[in-house]
Amino acid sequence: MASAVSSLEKYLEEYDEIKSTLPGQGLDWLVQLRQQGLDQFSTQGFPTTRDEDWRYTNVTPFIKKSFQSVLAKPSTTVLPEQMDHYYVPDCWQVVIVDGHFSNTLSKLDGLPEEVVVMALSDALIKCPDKVKSYLGQAVENEDHGFIHYNTAWFSEGLFVWIPQQVKMKQPLQLVHVVTQENVATATRNLIVAEAGAEGVVIESYFGSQAQAYLTSSISEVFVAENAHLTLYKLQNEASKALHCSGVYSQQEKHSTFNYLDFSFGGLIARNELHVNVGFAAACDLNGLFVGSGRQHFDNHTWINHLQPRGSSRELFKGILDGRARGVFQGCVKVFEDAQKIDSEMHNHNLLLSDNAEIDTKPQLVIYADDVKCAHGVTVGQLDDASVFYLQSRAVSEEEAKNMLTFAFANEMVDQIKVSSFKSYILALLLQKFPQGGIEQEWL
Amino acid sequence: MTSSTKEIEQLIGKEYDKGFVTNLEADTFLPGLNEEVIAALSAKKNEPPFMLEWRLKAYRHWLTMTPPEWAFVNFKPIDYQQISYYSAPKQSEKLKSLDEVDPELLDTYKKLGIPLEEQERLSGVAVDAVFDSVSVATTFKGKLKEVGVIFCPISEAIQEYPELVKQYLGSVVPQEDNFYAALNSAVFTDGSFVYIPKGVRCPMELSTYFRINAANTGQFERTLIIADESSHVSYLEGCTAPMRDENQLHAAVVELVILDNAQIKYSTVQNWYPGDKDGKGGIYNFVTKRADCRGVNSKVSWTQVETGSAITWKYPSCVLTGDNSVGEFYSVALTNNYQQADTGTKMIHVGKNTRSTIISKGISAGKAQNSYRGLVKVLKSAENARNYTQCDSLLVGDQCGAHTFPYIEVKQPSANVEHEATTSKISEDQLFFCQQRGLSPEDAVSLIVNGFCKEVFKELPMEFAVEAQALLGISLEGSVG
Repeated sequence: MASAVSSLEKYLEEYDEIKSTLPGQGLDWLVQLRQQGLDQFSTQGFPTTRDEDWRYTNVTPFIKKSFQSVLAKPSTTVLPEQMDHYYVPDCWQVVIVDGHFSNTLSKLDGLPEEVVVMALSDALIKCPDKVKSYLGQAVENEDHGFIHYNTAWFSEGLFVWIPQQVKMKQPLQLVHVVTQENVATATRNLIVAEAGAEGVVIESYFGSQAQAYLTSSISEVFVAENAHLTLYKLQNEASKALHCSGVYSQQEKHSTFNYLDFSFGGLIARNELHVNVGFAAACDLNGLFVGSGRQHFDNHTWINHLQPRGSSRELFKGILDGRARGVFQGCVKVFEDAQKIDSEMHNHNLLLSDNAEIDTKPQLVIYADDVKCAHGVTVGQLDDASVFYLQSRAVSEEEAKNMLTFAFANEMVDQIKVSSFKSYILALLLQKFPQGGIEQEWL
Repeated sequence: MTSSTKEIEQLIGKEYDKGFVTNLEADTFLPGLNEEVIAALSAKKNEPPFMLEWRLKAYRHWLTMTPPEWAFVNFKPIDYQQISYYSAPKQSEKLKSLDEVDPELLDTYKKLGIPLEEQERLSGVAVDAVFDSVSVATTFKGKLKEVGVIFCPISEAIQEYPELVKQYLGSVVPQEDNFYAALNSAVFTDGSFVYIPKGVRCPMELSTYFRINAANTGQFERTLIIADESSHVSYLEGCTAPMRDENQLHAAVVELVILDNAQIKYSTVQNWYPGDKDGKGGIYNFVTKRADCRGVNSKVSWTQVETGSAITWKYPSCVLTGDNSVGEFYSVALTNNYQQADTGTKMIHVGKNTRSTIISKGISAGKAQNSYRGLVKVLKSAENARNYTQCDSLLVGDQCGAHTFPYIEVKQPSANVEHEATTSKISEDQLFFCQQRGLSPEDAVSLIVNGFCKEVFKELPMEFAVEAQALLGISLEGSVG
């Protein structure tokens, strides 16, 4: 306990040093917002396993390392060719390296003029009022240490604003890269789709090699009436990283929000996905986590049906090998008078090794009677009969197991509608089968 | 639709018919709890010294604990000093037979539908009746003794079979287990004790009726059932209480020990006074029930029908330690008006090839809140463990809530765990279909709800199944939206 306190103090001491370098200086509302975040953070600290929502994920030993917040200017320069393998083809790119926007690495040619895509720090200078109407709105009712930390500390982020009736022709990729060891980055993204707008955003998180660092990222998503937004997220952090991110989405009537998450990297990765679904709005939330070694994935999803006639679909799949541990916590809450809700939540997990572990906690909280809500969870291993069937067709046992595991995962990859991103994910997924046997030809 | 809702509401509105008070002279402690009260209680019960120590250990630990707050229920904190921890119908001498029991007391049981002496003759169910804090009558003792089955009040067992009690009491639910279990361990007054010897199949069903009568008392009963190797027993439990405006506490502990190849079937029909339709009064039912399947191939089956209590906080659990042991949980929980129920089960898989099944049906009507909270935990040692969970909720009316909080923790890759849950209201199509075939709306509702609960009812012993269905009808009548 004493050490936890002292590590919290270290973070707080450090904040005094970096405070003046953070964007948005001189904007009273933002200074106030950050101060609120700091106050809450200093009383709560980072969450511990004593918090019900964090009971399966212990970040305390990791946080003790007290990572250094990145300073105002990137200390290293990254060459464009080093970035190539992070880029998903046929997308516009916004690049954040070590918590700071890189203009030279970003690629926004051909972006329609009416669409606003810029670094949050720029937006705070060019259109602070617009930022003000969104920043912090989607996390207003969220309350845990990482959110307050992010509010106080964020150094950069992505600001996307798609005006009314505008349909983006190709996806926008946020490339978030950490190159340094023992740093903490905090970014805040605002993604706004105005009435009738359509867009696809890919958030991707990378790190180099085996470094330990902390990524704190929060995306606030606003989907207005009749707008359709798709958000893909790829988490492929370095193998010792702590990734703690959240997507908090507000949906207005008749809008749709599709979310698809791929968690491959990091040592501890916590994804929060909280959605407020409006009248007759629909959301589709999906995810795949593939863990090995000592990786720990925690997916925390929460769907609030505040208005009638909404629908939600959720499917998270986990594959765990080695000593990996997976956590799925999902809640669907239907508020009073939110009638005619149709909701389904599924979580399927495959345990491949003796030491893998899964903890899953699907929840329904229902206050309206005319609803159809269901959830289903399975935990199991590969079907012996299926493996035997393949073996009887002259497929080696190892290959048979790989094929079946891959097929289990591929259901999620198949949901990607952007072909370039689909091949990108497929390639990453195939790297997860190092024993070989997965031949591209039968794909 | 509206007319059927109205009829249903009338149906729901039916009053609690077990709510009478019996005027008996009672021997009651003054409210309050401290070590002297516990010592007095222990002395009253004529307990050997080890029990007093055991109680005090629990009490001292209880003082360091705080009431759990994680359950999805709301109530004002309980003042434990305002409760009387002992109340017994006054009797001069120890009774030798049923004939000597206070006729008024027997009358009460008759009103409850448990004519003790008749039951002895007709139904072949052995009954132990617990009134407030003491066990008043146990039937069929003689017949059971012939086959070696011990079925008696636990207070008697403590005096007559101290070795058995010493060995097993608290071995499933330790004194420190949780706040209410610790309180119970300190102040429990009576309950049933059952021991089924090796290889014996209990020739009849055993049954206990619990009744809270006196005001301002808490009832803390403790049940301990031991099924020795290759034995089998089916045990039933029923509960009622008078209608009172204040809330009363009922904090029971039930421990089941199941050894090699033995089986226990434990059925409960819980019908404590649920409070009136404005949510006034009613029993707080905070119960810890746990079965330890210690032996190989052992089996435990919990079946519960929960229709009463203002607040229910109850999670009958199975610890599946023995290889190939089986745990089952079948539950119907019905809440109406302002009732709140947070109930479910825990299945802890420790041994190899252990299997568990959970079927939970929640029905919520009026302004009630009904939650299922369950844990399925598969430890690393539990190879080939298997669990199937299904929890369905039915909502009746638009102001109630139904919630599901399952926890699934798997550390063994060869385990197969499945969980399914649904929440919906009674289908209008089904109602229409029934009505179109000439059923009245309430009959249609009753039919559909009974169908919804069928999987659980079929697990109940015959007499209880009939009672449960009737109870469900009474508690629910009028509640389909």
